[in-house]
Amino acid sequence: MSRNLEFCLPDVGEGLGEGEIVAWRVGVGDRVVRDQVLVEVETDKSIVELPSPSEGVIAELGGKPGDILPVGAVLVVMTVAGGSPGTSPDAPPQRVLASPATRKLAVELGVDLARVRGSGPGGRVRKEDVLTAAAPEPSPPAAPTFSERGVRVVPARKSTCGEADGEGTVERVPLRGVRRRVAQTMTRAWQQIPHITDFREVDATRLVAARLRLRDRLGPEFTYLPLFIAAVAAALGRHRALNASLDAEAETITYHRGCHIGIAIATDDGLIVPVLHDADRKSLAQIAVECSTLTQAARSRAVTAEQTMGGTFTITNFGSYGGWLGTPVIRPPEAGIAGFGRIHDAVIPVESVPAVRALLPMVVAADHRLVDGDALGRFAADLAELLADPVLLLA
Amino acid sequence: MVVGEVPEGLDLLVVGGGPGGYTAALRAARLGRQVTLVDEAGAAGVGGVCLRTGCIPSKALIEMAETVHRAMAWTRTGPVDLARFQGFKEQIVRQLGDDVRRQLDEAGVRVLQGRFCFTRPGQGAVQREDGGPSRFVEFKDVILATGSRAVELDALRLDGEQVIDSTGALALAALPSKLAVIGGGCVGVELGTAFAKLGAHVTIIEALDRLLPALPATVAHPVQRRLAVLGVEVLLEARVSGFDGDRLKVETLRGLEEVEAALVIVAVGRRPNSDHLGLELIGVRPSVGGMLDVAKDRRIAPHVAAIGDLTPGPALAHKAMAEAEVAADALCGRPAAFDPAAIPAVVFGDPEVAVAGLSAEDARAIGITVRVVAMPLRASGRAATMGATEGFARLVIDTGTDAVVGAQIAGPHAAELISAPVLAIEMAASPADLAGTIHPHPTISELLAEAAGRP
Repeated sequence: MSRNLEFCLPDVGEGLGEGEIVAWRVGVGDRVVRDQVLVEVETDKSIVELPSPSEGVIAELGGKPGDILPVGAVLVVMTVAGGSPGTSPDAPPQRVLASPATRKLAVELGVDLARVRGSGPGGRVRKEDVLTAAAPEPSPPAAPTFSERGVRVVPARKSTCGEADGEGTVERVPLRGVRRRVAQTMTRAWQQIPHITDFREVDATRLVAARLRLRDRLGPEFTYLPLFIAAVAAALGRHRALNASLDAEAETITYHRGCHIGIAIATDDGLIVPVLHDADRKSLAQIAVECSTLTQAARSRAVTAEQTMGGTFTITNFGSYGGWLGTPVIRPPEAGIAGFGRIHDAVIPVESVPAVRALLPMVVAADHRLVDGDALGRFAADLAELLADPVLLLA
Repeated sequence: MVVGEVPEGLDLLVVGGGPGGYTAALRAARLGRQVTLVDEAGAAGVGGVCLRTGCIPSKALIEMAETVHRAMAWTRTGPVDLARFQGFKEQIVRQLGDDVRRQLDEAGVRVLQGRFCFTRPGQGAVQREDGGPSRFVEFKDVILATGSRAVELDALRLDGEQVIDSTGALALAALPSKLAVIGGGCVGVELGTAFAKLGAHVTIIEALDRLLPALPATVAHPVQRRLAVLGVEVLLEARVSGFDGDRLKVETLRGLEEVEAALVIVAVGRRPNSDHLGLELIGVRPSVGGMLDVAKDRRIAPHVAAIGDLTPGPALAHKAMAEAEVAADALCGRPAAFDPAAIPAVVFGDPEVAVAGLSAEDARAIGITVRVVAMPLRASGRAATMGATEGFARLVIDTGTDAVVGAQIAGPHAAELISAPVLAIEMAASPADLAGTIHPHPTISELLAEAAGRP
């Protein structure tokens, strides 16, 4: 006797709501053993391989590459040996019952027939069911309507002639992976967070000297980033309003005890923000080592879900693009973000005499719902002072 | 490509003028593309193996053999004039070929002669075997439809005289007295049956343990019984090891046997024509056996599609034609998928047999619980008037969904009759739908409705 086992998408990282199927390692009809890798699933920050929970035969795949499944959705149905006596074996999944015209319509509209509830006799899928599934509004998030070639098909546009796409004038690709997560986060940030921003230039002459000394001690890889992180963590310790989260719905403010600093890292796939936890309790050397680990993990897309969770404040580096500075966008639910430009030599008045000094452009943005302008200014001034005179980091 | 050769700019190129190729060309032209079709034989090659040297000529032969056989049974007249048959066949081939050429012409499809191979992605050479000038072409999209060719036997090379392939068999001007057919698949059975009906003594030699190994055993049985009645000898689990001009040496389970034959027809399967396309230059490697793995929309690369015998599945013209539409749509930017519930397969033997969808064994193998309902051909009055007794109509029904998922028919016009069950399978009709559909009387098609009505 055999029975069907449904293997649902597990929560592969704390708090992740969904995962994208990257590639199947098995196909329907394959016999698999326990712990054999079934599928590669991409969460917003990493790609994980999911092993089979049991030995059996794959009866159904819960989606195709590119599909996004919510946690808990059926990922694989497998037929496994055993089963309690008396229960009839579930009919294994098979071809969806639908006419050729209905099938063609489904392909044209990018509807996966396996996810359509058929209203015909015995669950046969009718044209109307496909049209309903393709309608943009009521379609549930679990039924993404993407064609196999990854082109989003807009149901309303049932043109009878070749689309412009076929002529190569535009290319439409699905919003997926890191890009999708960045888009979601930034939409939330822009729609919900009223940003206030403080720009200033810091005389970084001592910072440059300090970094050179530290590089001699800690190795040639030592960058400014650990210094920025240590300074931000120190400043956050004195300004808890910027190390906080606002829950507007519950009307509560959460002040974080630890300083968990996100580091924005550009990758080929988009922005990834690994988090350096408890930055306020770590030495510069420790911070430097962790920074380099996190940066490499992000660039190779190997960060774990844990390494991207729990940030309370973010640092972004405008300097690496060569520009002067930019306006950073806060990552909800955080309350602030600091950005640093490129350190460059400039002529400035020092004690009323023109002098060449190293200047560091710096920007801090804060959520105005939590932080007023004067509080932001005081935080920025503290941060600037720590960077201008890094020996204060020892205080 | 030679340095300095300037490729000719094309829009959509179709390689191969067979049923898949010309269907794809017509479809893409209807979708507004500038289509060029290249075939080794140029415009004369349009229609491919199917139309020119395969399905159509063999059906002509089979039809004539059946008529002659029945007439001889009534009148006891002498053997048939195969030379006259060749005229009849040529006329059919020319008429059908002209019709396809006219359609291509009206659709604005330009036809080039030559053998195509890639020189790099998006570019290729069209070389003429007759020494004519080669062309270099550059294209946006290409559909590969180069079909397949008959496999040859190492132990028995074709000589065009006494050892011939199916194409040679269909071009015979005289009927041999004794002939052997190597291969008991659909081509071997069709040709063997037809020549036996025309009066030749036929031996069919098959390596596996039954005839028509690609089809369910249920449909092979009546064919095997009728071959015995027609006087055809069938050697199973037998391999040919040599031919001396009069006798074939055949290794069987009983030992070495000799089969008298003045003519040997080799029909042991087909192989995809994927080896001269220069696929390595576009980073595509055929699988073992030369097949090209394709996506559901028939693509093997963003601007390259493959259809027909080059791709997995049965090597059948109607499969290629259905794939052709999908490939043309996909390369014209329209979402498309080749996803049939049933691809019918037919053998024009005696009886004619046709199958579609799942056999009972197929269904059980994939865990679907089915019941099989059947009616014997003897229950049909119409079959009796045709003197046909061997055959049946069977339906395979998924008991879980109450849908028809398969059908097998053996009997006169089975190839015509199968389309109704194919429609039923595609529409997921229930047996009650079929039983409740009025079928004309007296016909063989009634058997399907009657079978569907059985518990």
